[in-house]
Amino acid sequence: MKAVYSFLKSVRLTIVLILAIAVLSLLASLVPQGRSEAWYRSHYSPGLSDLVRFAGLPRFFSSAGFLVPAFLLTLNLGACAVDRMIRRVTRKAAPRYGPDLVHLGLLLLIAGGLVTALGRQETTWPLAVGEDAALSSTYALHLLSLQFLKYDNGAPKEWTSTVRVAREGNVEIPSFPIKVNHPLRLKGLSVYQATWELQGILDLRDAGGQEVTATTGQGFPFGESFWYFAEAQKARDAWTIVAVEYKGREMRPVSTRVLLAGDALGPYTVAGITAREVTGLKAVRDPGFAPFLAALGIIVLGLCLTFIQSRYGSTRSASTPYSADSGEDGA
Amino acid sequence: MTATLGLLCIALAVVLQAGFLLRRENRRDPVSHWLLAAAALLLFATLVKRSFRISFVAVTDTYESLVFFSAAICAVLFGLRLALRTRGMSPFVMFGATFVCLVLLILSSSPLAPKDIQPPIPALQSFWLVLHVTFSFIGEAFFVVSFVAAVAFLATRNEDRRADMDRLITTSIGIGYPIFTAGALVFGAIWAETAWGSWWSWDPKEVWALITWLIYTAYLHTRLVRRMRGRISAVLVIVGFIAALFTFFGVNFLLSGLHSYG
Repeated sequence: MKAVYSFLKSVRLTIVLILAIAVLSLLASLVPQGRSEAWYRSHYSPGLSDLVRFAGLPRFFSSAGFLVPAFLLTLNLGACAVDRMIRRVTRKAAPRYGPDLVHLGLLLLIAGGLVTALGRQETTWPLAVGEDAALSSTYALHLLSLQFLKYDNGAPKEWTSTVRVAREGNVEIPSFPIKVNHPLRLKGLSVYQATWELQGILDLRDAGGQEVTATTGQGFPFGESFWYFAEAQKARDAWTIVAVEYKGREMRPVSTRVLLAGDALGPYTVAGITAREVTGLKAVRDPGFAPFLAALGIIVLGLCLTFIQSRYGSTRSASTPYSADSGEDGA
Repeated sequence: MTATLGLLCIALAVVLQAGFLLRRENRRDPVSHWLLAAAALLLFATLVKRSFRISFVAVTDTYESLVFFSAAICAVLFGLRLALRTRGMSPFVMFGATFVCLVLLILSSSPLAPKDIQPPIPALQSFWLVLHVTFSFIGEAFFVVSFVAAVAFLATRNEDRRADMDRLITTSIGIGYPIFTAGALVFGAIWAETAWGSWWSWDPKEVWALITWLIYTAYLHTRLVRRMRGRISAVLVIVGFIAALFTFFGVNFLLSGLHSYG
């Protein structure tokens, strides 16, 4: 038991684990994360694709390859923190609280990360002006207006979705402008300006004359193809829809058509095309954010205290701002 | 114009420092740090002018970042030269760090960093971004000093010089590490949460900032193990600086992610 504890609180173990995580993260950063198997097969040679998948690199940061050393580092961090406290209590260590705070902050940060990974919820609501979104059983949003400003060079300057917030049916906030970097903060819930799009709406008729409505972002299978309504464009005074045809197991785009009212596509005829501006509001509930913020504060405080104490404080070993309380392996 | 004058000041400082180095007197020249102070002021003035033109703090594109980084290195070198009067800031370290600064500023004049004034897109219009970028580069400016000192440490066998370099490495990382941590990780994460609702996304830039931080963290821990002090520590400092450079250049130009605004 004592040997295990000594092993876990070893600084050498800390260094090895830190460097192992750094090297593994480096390898993972070279492989785009979270793509489909088909993507890796189409972008890498068969051997490399198999190797990447075998090594768990496509989802590396949630794989055992990352989680095991990260877990060991957490244990190591915990053992070091406990050891420092024991030595502090038994007066074997100099009163340097900076590293203690850093270790404590890192443990809290890891805990916050775990809570976020397990408990974070995210939903995106596409809304046009006048539409509502029930964010939770308590809160509902109503989109009052939508504004998209551009710079002279055409680059986006600002998206603003002005909303009214109701809580259990009663208006709580009459008007709030949600912008990028200016989210709406409710109790335990934040709403972000996530996307903006010009949504094309197609009135389609099938051979039997039945009406079907589709929007950009939707599509339908036809024979061996899948037709996808990609975007709406204004051509003179009429709206058009860019439709892309995908084929094969890997769904590669093979052709594109620009649809006007009256055109036929597969089993449908386009009866009419309209468009409207739609904002994408992302509602996020992240119970890990508060511990994360607290952890950051503690870490920065700990780092500053470490530096101040080592430069100006009365320490026994002041050869380095982060030197040990006592010689080798004394984290 | 002010950026060009800043570049000239730095180039002149490099020539002066090289001249003193070649005389092999191990004496620090009395002028070059004042040239660096002037360069820092001129480069900061460049950014202030651009800030007025885009109505935001001008640290939002590659050119502005490189100019800020260079200005921060000049300011840090000037500060350390004044603070460490007697020991530490050897002529070689001053020369090496100024040379790195000159290279970075020359890169800012290359096609890699277009000078066109681009107002910031909505995601970049955040005070947290300003803190994120400026603190990261100020921290990395100290890492430049530690990098050159680590090279000097490995290049010499003189124990006194090694002790001086070792002290300079720990001092510069001792100051730079908390600033870099606050800038790259803390303010970066808060900005990401405010802009995208996610404080960590395993985006390539985030991963590389973490790698850089881990390497410097490993360095600090090697200071606790006697057998690892010295060469291993110095090598880690060099690797850490390479990782910091890759985080800025490599990720911008080779890997895409949330930090790609091209």
